[in-house]
Amino acid sequence: MAHDWQPDFEQLVDEHQSMIFSLALRMTGDRGLAEEIAQDVFLELDRSLSKIESAAHACFWLRRVAMSRSADALRRCKVRRVDLWVEIDESHGVRVEERISPLGARLEQLLETLPEPQRAALVLRYQEDLTPDEIAITLDAPVATVKSHLQRGLKLLRAKAANHLKDYVRQKEFVRGA
Amino acid sequence: MELEPMDEFEQELRQAFERWPAPPGLKRKLMERRHKPTQRSWFAWPGFAASLVSVSLCVAAVLTFYGSHERQQEKERREGEDARQQVLTALRITSHALDHMNQQLAAHNRANHESSQE
Repeated sequence: MAHDWQPDFEQLVDEHQSMIFSLALRMTGDRGLAEEIAQDVFLELDRSLSKIESAAHACFWLRRVAMSRSADALRRCKVRRVDLWVEIDESHGVRVEERISPLGARLEQLLETLPEPQRAALVLRYQEDLTPDEIAITLDAPVATVKSHLQRGLKLLRAKAANHLKDYVRQKEFVRGA
Repeated sequence: MELEPMDEFEQELRQAFERWPAPPGLKRKLMERRHKPTQRSWFAWPGFAASLVSVSLCVAAVLTFYGSHERQQEKERREGEDARQQVLTALRITSHALDHMNQQLAAHNRANHESSQE
């Protein structure tokens, strides 16, 4: 199919490497594996560049392949989330707690404990800001299923974060009161 | 599609799930892999090698099986032939012994007959 858009591979890498790496990292919980997945996804993009019709298509294609590759990798190997956080701390040189709020850091950790389909839906919803319809297309799943995963995942995450949230709110009120 | 506005918890999630920066070496490693000629050749070497080894092993296994089967058959045939030869030899010996005994009996009978006529 003819299209005017001329893809620039290096520019696509620059624009989307953070997105692909973050998706793979949040899905697999392993920094090394996430980097490997990101490389594989971009190399696959390089091979399929002639089929990409626009910048938006490239972004959609990259998200879809990254989620699919991450799911495949997860099925191949089980990674303990404890290792992830040690590696992130070491390699980024920035502690999770310093990059985001304490509650945010806790939520990142709790995400790791959710079942894979719920985690995928939540990551695409809150990292990529996609609608349930867009998530359904990305994951090649029915919209109803995606909505169900989002609701259940959110409920589970709320429940798990409840104690931490109480402390967090209490701390906020204490600071306001002071 | 209408979406409900995000509550405070969801807003917190959104902030928590901001994108991580990509590792500094990712692009460089990617470009190195991209420009490796073997990466773009018609076969992926590890997969091709694995397939080649698998096929070779299968062929070797089949040949070994049929080879051992044929060797077994040949061994059984040789053993059968040996057994047949042994039986024939035994029969020849027995036949020879019986002939010898018959001759002795005939000679003995002849001697008896001659002595009775005298």
